[in-house]
Amino acid sequence: MRFLLALILLAPAFAQQSPAQANPPAKPEEKAAEATAQTETKAEKPADKPAESPAPSTESWIDGSVDFGYRWLTNVNGNFQQYRSIVNLGEGPKLFGVDLTIQDPKRRLFDRLDARAYGWGGDPYSTAHVNMRKAKIYDLNFDYRNIAYFNAVPSFANPSAPLGFNEQTFDLHRKTINATLDFNPGGHILPYLAYERNSGYGNGIETWVNESTNEYPVPTVFRDSTDNYRGGLRLEYNRFHVTVEQGGTTFKDDDQAFDRTYQGGDRTTPLFGQTLYLTGLNQAYGIRGTSYYTKAIGTLHVTSNMDFYGQFLYSDPKTDVNFNELAAGNFSQINSLLFYSNQLTIGTGAANQPHTTANLGYEIRLFKNHLRLMYSWITDRYTDNASPFVTQTFGNGSATPPATIATALNYGQKVNYDQQQWDVLYDLGSKITLRGGIRWVSGDATVLAGSLSQTGNLVSGKLDRTIGLGGLTYRPNQKFTANLDYEGSSSDNIYFRTSLNEYSKGRARAKYQFNSALGLQARFTVLDNQNPDPSIRYSLRARDNAITLFWTPKSSKFVSLMGEYDRSTVQSSISYLGLFLSQQTSSYRDNSHSATAALNLTLPGVVPAKLTVGGSLFVSNGSRSTQYYQPLVKLSLPIGKHVYWNTDWQYYGYGEQAYMFEAFRTHVFETGLRLTK
Amino acid sequence: MKPLLVTSHCQSTVLPRLLRGARLAGLVAAALLLAIPGIAQEKAAAQEKAAAAAPAPAPKKPAEYIGSEMCGSCHEDIAKAFQKNPHQIVETDKKRHFDTKACESCHGPGSNHMESMSAADIRNPLKLRPAEADRACLTCHLNQPTHVGRINSSHAKNQVSCVSCHSIHKNGPHGLVPRKATEINQLCSGCHSDVWASFQRPFKHKLPEGAMSCVDCHNPHGGILPRGLQTANANEPGCNNCHGDKRGPFTFEHAPVRLEGCSACHQPHGSANPRMLTRSEVRFVCLECHSNLPAPTLPANGTLGTTPPAFHDLRSPRFQNCNVCHQKVHGSYVSRDLLK
Repeated sequence: MRFLLALILLAPAFAQQSPAQANPPAKPEEKAAEATAQTETKAEKPADKPAESPAPSTESWIDGSVDFGYRWLTNVNGNFQQYRSIVNLGEGPKLFGVDLTIQDPKRRLFDRLDARAYGWGGDPYSTAHVNMRKAKIYDLNFDYRNIAYFNAVPSFANPSAPLGFNEQTFDLHRKTINATLDFNPGGHILPYLAYERNSGYGNGIETWVNESTNEYPVPTVFRDSTDNYRGGLRLEYNRFHVTVEQGGTTFKDDDQAFDRTYQGGDRTTPLFGQTLYLTGLNQAYGIRGTSYYTKAIGTLHVTSNMDFYGQFLYSDPKTDVNFNELAAGNFSQINSLLFYSNQLTIGTGAANQPHTTANLGYEIRLFKNHLRLMYSWITDRYTDNASPFVTQTFGNGSATPPATIATALNYGQKVNYDQQQWDVLYDLGSKITLRGGIRWVSGDATVLAGSLSQTGNLVSGKLDRTIGLGGLTYRPNQKFTANLDYEGSSSDNIYFRTSLNEYSKGRARAKYQFNSALGLQARFTVLDNQNPDPSIRYSLRARDNAITLFWTPKSSKFVSLMGEYDRSTVQSSISYLGLFLSQQTSSYRDNSHSATAALNLTLPGVVPAKLTVGGSLFVSNGSRSTQYYQPLVKLSLPIGKHVYWNTDWQYYGYGEQAYMFEAFRTHVFETGLRLTK
Repeated sequence: MKPLLVTSHCQSTVLPRLLRGARLAGLVAAALLLAIPGIAQEKAAAQEKAAAAAPAPAPKKPAEYIGSEMCGSCHEDIAKAFQKNPHQIVETDKKRHFDTKACESCHGPGSNHMESMSAADIRNPLKLRPAEADRACLTCHLNQPTHVGRINSSHAKNQVSCVSCHSIHKNGPHGLVPRKATEINQLCSGCHSDVWASFQRPFKHKLPEGAMSCVDCHNPHGGILPRGLQTANANEPGCNNCHGDKRGPFTFEHAPVRLEGCSACHQPHGSANPRMLTRSEVRFVCLECHSNLPAPTLPANGTLGTTPPAFHDLRSPRFQNCNVCHQKVHGSYVSRDLLK
């Protein structure tokens, strides 16, 4: 009760940055319209509402806005690495956002160009997007993202080790570029070309492992990239559509680790009287991959009562491995009680994975579309032919011939998956739609076993699952919608101990629009999974309840409110083999509360100012009790016809009960101008 | 010999399990199918009764097409703004057979509405049953690559109609649906509020920050993968679009990555656990699967998890985060134990 009271009191203050708030400040009426759009789907608007007028078109050549300014951080109290792992906002001048539309009245190179960019100036996530099009000639889309991935969570590695938390630490950027060019948009025959690139680069600390005897954190440079080229042709006619696409991919991974310092590793005690250490490491990956793929998809409108759908997807990725590593120090191979001073590892090999996926389905509509039958068949199968060859040579600097271990495998994995699903949907009048169905899933897999496997190099598993489906949609009027979904399964075989076995999944959702201003939505989901096998005894129950309130009074354009509260629980227990293979139980509990809120106030004036108070909170108890608060306040003051002065404050507070040293808190201030045209 | 044992075990249990599952599913489907004729009969009887009671309305002549120009004479503001609407192409393009009748391509023939001025005499997709509203849109849009996954779409099956997300009268070439990441997220979270709550957790993909959107990972029109997940390079999971280094194929694969996907170990929408893991300690993510005894009696349900590494002292913090050493947990090029 106390929590609930606190929550209600704090909701406006502790709330999250709702997605809308990340946008440049919108006009009050736009904001209200956006909020309304959240509360009601268009289909559920009051029946007597007149047709909505579109936004008036602009006659200007160029319009848009630019936001820029400066960000300050107070000292990050607590764990700075954790702050960077979770928030990672930095100080300095920033280009918060640019949003630009150019409409060429003479329609020379393009009819319209839309460009936008957010988070430039050293922010952890910078994005840019350009869309340029000329009617019936081309449509060009370009998307760029640069997302920082910093991760140095102390408790994630080895908290007790001398260099503990440094292991498995990354300071990376992942960049994606996506460019597509469609020709003849709106026509029957549409060729297209696309280029995509995904790359990662940065530094980190990985672990160099000397069997199970010791491990050493080593500085690592990460470099990988995937380039994807594709082109295709779409044929779109009233009766059918076919798309054929051919693509190719190149991949390279050039990670490197290099170290010349003395390291004692994580082991704190000598092994048979000897201290293990690392004095030098050179490690280089040279992975090269290629792939080509084919895609053919189509739809067919057979009659007014029947549609067909089909997809055929094939890819054939290949990888060539070149790896070498030279390590120096004092190491041990525990199996043969061998101590040695240097280790040379050379790895070569190749992997090839032809992969076929297909889907066929149809929909039949009967009784004036009141009864719909839907059938879908999906198959997914791949074989993985791998031939790794790894030699490890151990030397001790003496005249004794070095020992060598070679690992050579030549194996093939096979995975087959098939799924069939029938759905029957019936509209019981205009208010109720019933749904029922059944899904059969089957599969078999032969995959590489772990090195301690008792069954040889390969291990096989099967998947057989029958799932019953049911649902109901109830729409008594334009204001109320309720939706129920149920899925229950009985499995004969599953692949993994933690896979869904005998499970039931239910979901209920209801929306009620009290009036044009006030809307309420509630959701409830539950998943229950049991695997009673005596050696597994897996029991999972996950629940999620969410309630959302929207208040956007149209009579008063000065205030709107969005609030959401979510409570989720996870209870999981499964038996596992712990120390000395003794059977123990792994219990995971998560009992969490999330709340988000945004109160928008439009302050009166000739050109009104806008104040937003809100943010989010997350509080959980259980296996990892955590608190994470992100309240915020935003103020947008008009200082000219096209100039706004924006000021934001946001607080980030994070804490954990089990790992108190990971807590942090900080205040982030931003101020800047927004210029509009 | 193990597969034989597994097979024999399955054979002994497969029939009752199959029957149980089929019974469960059959019950749902049968109840629905059986209900339909009865309900339809009741409905027809009620309609007959009502028809008998009410005076016969004057027969209305079938509506005819009147052309967009006529619509615009009353709905002037809409007609003006429609000049910059993506659907304006319908007005001029003969491809869809609705040239000069763009308004009526969605709203149906308008002659009766023009005469009566009554909203009841014109089709308003917002008020139709979702399936009917979708038919209006799919008349033109079915035969496009976007909708090839519709047969698997949970939106389509849950009566989420096209106009739930698409604002048909909105302006701009891409005005029908939000294109900015923050606006897309806002639209999706309007219904999927429980999912949006997960993004308030400390470890999550950067959606609240506007760096990503829901449709980067999910195809709202449905796809070939479960949960409408996007694909990469034809038939690979869409996760590889950004995490290309996890794609492989590796010479030493980790089976669950292929068989169960990323969500076997990660909560992609957000988690209180570092790296969005499903468990608070890494060892439990691993050991809950890697706990089959090295005996010949593998469990029928969960055969692929292997023996745990018994020689590690799990009491020591050194061994409690398995992937400090087994760091190439997504697949390795040179180590069967996924060490490098």
